[in-house]
Amino acid sequence: MALSTPASDTSLPQPGAVVRPRTASRGSSLWRDARRRLLRNKLAVTGGVVIVLLCLIAIFADFLAPQSYTKANFGRLYESPSRDFPLGTDQLGRDVLSRLIYGARVSMLVGLGAQVIVVLIGVPIGALSGFVGGRTDLFLTRLVDVMYAFPRLLFVILVMSMLGAGLVNIFIALGLTGWVGIARQTRAQVLSIKEKEFVEGARAMGAGFWRVMSRHVLPSALTPIVVSITFGIPEAIFTEAALSFIGVGINPPTPSWGQMVGENQQFLRSYWHLCVFPSIAIAVTMLSFTFFGDGVRDALDPRLK
Amino acid sequence: MRIPDEQLDLFAKRLEAIGVGRRDFLKVVGAMAAFGGLGFATTAQAAKPTKPGPNEKLAKDQTFRFGGGGWYQNDPASHDFNKDLYCAGVPALFAGLMVFNADFVSVPWMASKVEGNKDGSVWTFTIRKDTRWSDNSPVSARDFEWSWKRQLDPASAAPYAKFLYDIKNAEAYNKKQLPDATQVGVRAKDDWTLEVTLEGPRGYFPVLAAYLAALPAHRGAVEKFGDKWTEAGNIVCNGPFVLEAWEHNKQIVLKKNPHYFGAKDVHLSRVVIPIIPVASGALPYENNELDMTALQSGDLKRLQSDPRMSKDVFRYPFPGTWYLIPQVTKPPFDNLKVRKAVGHAIDRENVVKVSQGFAVPAWSMIPPGFPGAVDDAKIKAIQRYDKKAAMDALKGTPFEGGKNWPKITLSMRDEGLGSKPLAEAVQAVLLDSLNMKTELEVLEPRVFRDRLWKQDLQFVWIRWFMDYPDPHNEYFDTFYGKGTTGKRQAWVNDAFDKELEAGRDTRDPKQRLEHYKKAEELMQQDAGYVPVAWVLRYAAKKPWVGGLEKNKAGEFVVDGNIYVDMLQHIYITEKG
Repeated sequence: MALSTPASDTSLPQPGAVVRPRTASRGSSLWRDARRRLLRNKLAVTGGVVIVLLCLIAIFADFLAPQSYTKANFGRLYESPSRDFPLGTDQLGRDVLSRLIYGARVSMLVGLGAQVIVVLIGVPIGALSGFVGGRTDLFLTRLVDVMYAFPRLLFVILVMSMLGAGLVNIFIALGLTGWVGIARQTRAQVLSIKEKEFVEGARAMGAGFWRVMSRHVLPSALTPIVVSITFGIPEAIFTEAALSFIGVGINPPTPSWGQMVGENQQFLRSYWHLCVFPSIAIAVTMLSFTFFGDGVRDALDPRLK
Repeated sequence: MRIPDEQLDLFAKRLEAIGVGRRDFLKVVGAMAAFGGLGFATTAQAAKPTKPGPNEKLAKDQTFRFGGGGWYQNDPASHDFNKDLYCAGVPALFAGLMVFNADFVSVPWMASKVEGNKDGSVWTFTIRKDTRWSDNSPVSARDFEWSWKRQLDPASAAPYAKFLYDIKNAEAYNKKQLPDATQVGVRAKDDWTLEVTLEGPRGYFPVLAAYLAALPAHRGAVEKFGDKWTEAGNIVCNGPFVLEAWEHNKQIVLKKNPHYFGAKDVHLSRVVIPIIPVASGALPYENNELDMTALQSGDLKRLQSDPRMSKDVFRYPFPGTWYLIPQVTKPPFDNLKVRKAVGHAIDRENVVKVSQGFAVPAWSMIPPGFPGAVDDAKIKAIQRYDKKAAMDALKGTPFEGGKNWPKITLSMRDEGLGSKPLAEAVQAVLLDSLNMKTELEVLEPRVFRDRLWKQDLQFVWIRWFMDYPDPHNEYFDTFYGKGTTGKRQAWVNDAFDKELEAGRDTRDPKQRLEHYKKAEELMQQDAGYVPVAWVLRYAAKKPWVGGLEKNKAGEFVVDGNIYVDMLQHIYITEKG
């Protein structure tokens, strides 16, 4: 796959302007390469399509759901799948399909929302730590180490029990506990990139901290961050499901897949449909993100060129 | 003898010491009241043996297997009730001086006779001579003296030793203020006479003697094996059964004790108790691995609708009431009209449907059939379900037409199966009737209680399980406005409090009930609480299980905290 792109070739002849165009073109070629490789990976594409579908379902839940997720039908409790209720009804006679559809909204929100917080905390800390070095680095690295020492799920449960259940609190809890990995990766990347010639060149030309950071260092460190995010999303979704399963996640009546499984596992033998369908939904989502994430990682890995 | 109130207070304290909670213990007080103020029988009335009916033919194999659905879900720590009341072991291995019958009346068991002195400060138990430990040694008064002193011995560190503090010098001995055990007021005058000298008049002492915490231990086994003395090979029992095998975390096997005085009337030759997690539900029972099991909501309906098994299911007594507390200090419930609207908005018939049979609609605090139950059309109507009345009640409030609701959080305690679906159903009917959106918050029990008692919760889904069958418990202990501890709601009403005080202070039973009825009416008119559902509980037994005792109300009773006399009454009939 050794494709030397025309862009980099053409930019070579001018020694004075070597630094920026070269990196920029190498970067764009990397992304283009990556996209091509990603599209060739069938599993990753399938995963991506499912993810897009899930996002669409989450966004258009109000139009897609046949019923309101709160609407109880006390005359039709625990019904098996039928024409009226394609996936059956739950303990309040609510339509399981509608609740699954709205549950996608919670899952997607948690997955993306938590990653936003993770990135907002983790990337600056990692970048600062790696770039500034010295005592700052020492302090931040130790902080990361300490945070890393806590078992994640237990820490999340602890935070949740302090904040109380609720969607926003899940963002906060997952964000507060999830930034460690991304901070480490960012730091490692920044450490290696800041020694590169083009960064030194930019500095030599008088670029300040912010400019070097935002134009040169961070864009080059993006690859592992993107990979980390694609794996962080399903992890967050799964953690939310786990939290809701044990009852400290989303407050009823808002549906969450984990909660649907957790509340109904005792009925597995009497009313199988209550926890089988949400379990499938969780499994499919996790699988899609994992395939997609694997694909992205492979596609962005320069060693696989 | 009528037991005076100050003694009853002490009594409650003793029970509290062993963490039994007033509820169960006061059930016993209820039984005492029913027994004409005496509370126990003084001469042999012990556990009447059961006999198979004329159409029942005893099976050859008298093996009884029970458990599951919450019974014996964890491996017991031991069977040493004498040292660790919370061991969760099998009570039927031991026999105390007294035992509770199906109506919670304490009757003599290892004792053949109980006598008190005039003021009830000294009690003499005459031990029966026809019963033996499973190693064939006699069960004597000395066994009880030694066992109770073992429990009080500071070296035993029994967490509930306070239970026996009524005995003279027991407290001082237990607290190491008095090193000499011989000064403790329990003494075997001879092999068959146990004399217990108390700190003062304690008319209830024979009731304490019927409790699990007063069961004996076998001195020889304890001295030989120490903490391991209740393992299967080591244990020596004086109850109707002995421990044949105990495979930890798997199963407990009991065998009839031939040395027990009533052995000829004990039908079961073996009892098998598997350790089964509650999540297994009724599966082991349905697979015919159990003869009797407790039922959780996941299984009840299925079993009831199964033509073969529906006859197995039975209800056992459990008085409890689910209700809502709209906190009168927190908007929007500071508005009486809103509270009234909530009362009318609860579609109880539909809400209880989600319980799958574990609840019925409630219109007052006390379930039907218990003393003080209200059956009054006027009171039933106050908070009747009526969607239109609910909406009408909102007229003139900022929430007219079901609009402008602030954020409302319904809080509940995290507890067993079945309570959350009910709360969710309440949410659904509130949304349906009043367009009131609520969020359900399930709180950790301790957090819940703290916030509840600070009256810090806006809207509460809560239950009251009756402590003792008297309206004083259902109203005064829960809703009395001047109560200082454990008050659940900010709502107070002077007229209501006056009725409760009158109910407490009146002697005439009929008049008392009138006061409580009036109190219920006042509370409902003020919508201080919203009754929603009364609790029901179930177990299932195979058709061949006979001999289960019934209480006065005609309901089967199963082993619980007070009554533990189930196994020696059960027999197995032929599986025709």
